[in-house]
Amino acid sequence: MSNIQGIEKSSITDPELLELMEEALHLGIPGEKFILILARVPSYAKAILKAMIIGFNQGNIDHRIKEVMRVQLARFAGDSYSGQLRSKRAIQEGLEEDLIDSGSNDYEDDERFSEAEKVALRFSDQMYLDPKKVDKYFYDEMKKHYSEAQIMELGGFMVLQYGMQTFIRTLDLSSD
Amino acid sequence: MATDPDAVDKIFYQELKAFYTDEEIIELGAFIGMNLGYHTFFGTLDFYPMFSPDGRLIDQEESRRIYGTQVSSLQDRGAI
Repeated sequence: MSNIQGIEKSSITDPELLELMEEALHLGIPGEKFILILARVPSYAKAILKAMIIGFNQGNIDHRIKEVMRVQLARFAGDSYSGQLRSKRAIQEGLEEDLIDSGSNDYEDDERFSEAEKVALRFSDQMYLDPKKVDKYFYDEMKKHYSEAQIMELGGFMVLQYGMQTFIRTLDLSSD
Repeated sequence: MATDPDAVDKIFYQELKAFYTDEEIIELGAFIGMNLGYHTFFGTLDFYPMFSPDGRLIDQEESRRIYGTQVSSLQDRGAI
């Protein structure tokens, strides 16, 4: 049993939260179980879901590479719950499981990833494992492939995903 | 959660519940998660406070000299 229990979906009456929940469930991320736990604090649930949906599902970076980064971060965070979830949109857009796995392993040698995608994967790879490597030289390399707005888009996306995954890991959702 | 998430286990949550409601624990956990994520990212962006300790508006070079690039506390507990 998870360390904090979610509330019953039928008990949620806030229309904004219900709408965000439907949008998140349609996307597949961050999964109903975590949403129902977050919904214990509706103001937080709305703010976090909105930021997660915008960060993951909008912007100017290919959604599929964000999904590969999200799974990579979940695995680094030790969050098996988020690591098992998949973006329904990314799957519909043709992202395959083998490429998701490669994004957490030997992506540097995988020719299916472009140079820009490899830099993005290195960004999430290093950010929480060895952030000292994400230095001026790293950002100079990123700027060859991405605008500053796109770098902020990737950074903001990673921040929220990893932050919530670290929290989710402690909730032990996979034990239910 | 930041330096040893394995220590935040069922027993830890039971201890938390002795002092906080489930709602307050969610509030704290989400707050910590967001700050953990953001502060690591901020650290890579190499920016510094806009004001000196005495309240003067300063440029980034002066701020960097005043505040330094390393967190001086918690170094032995995983701070970067």
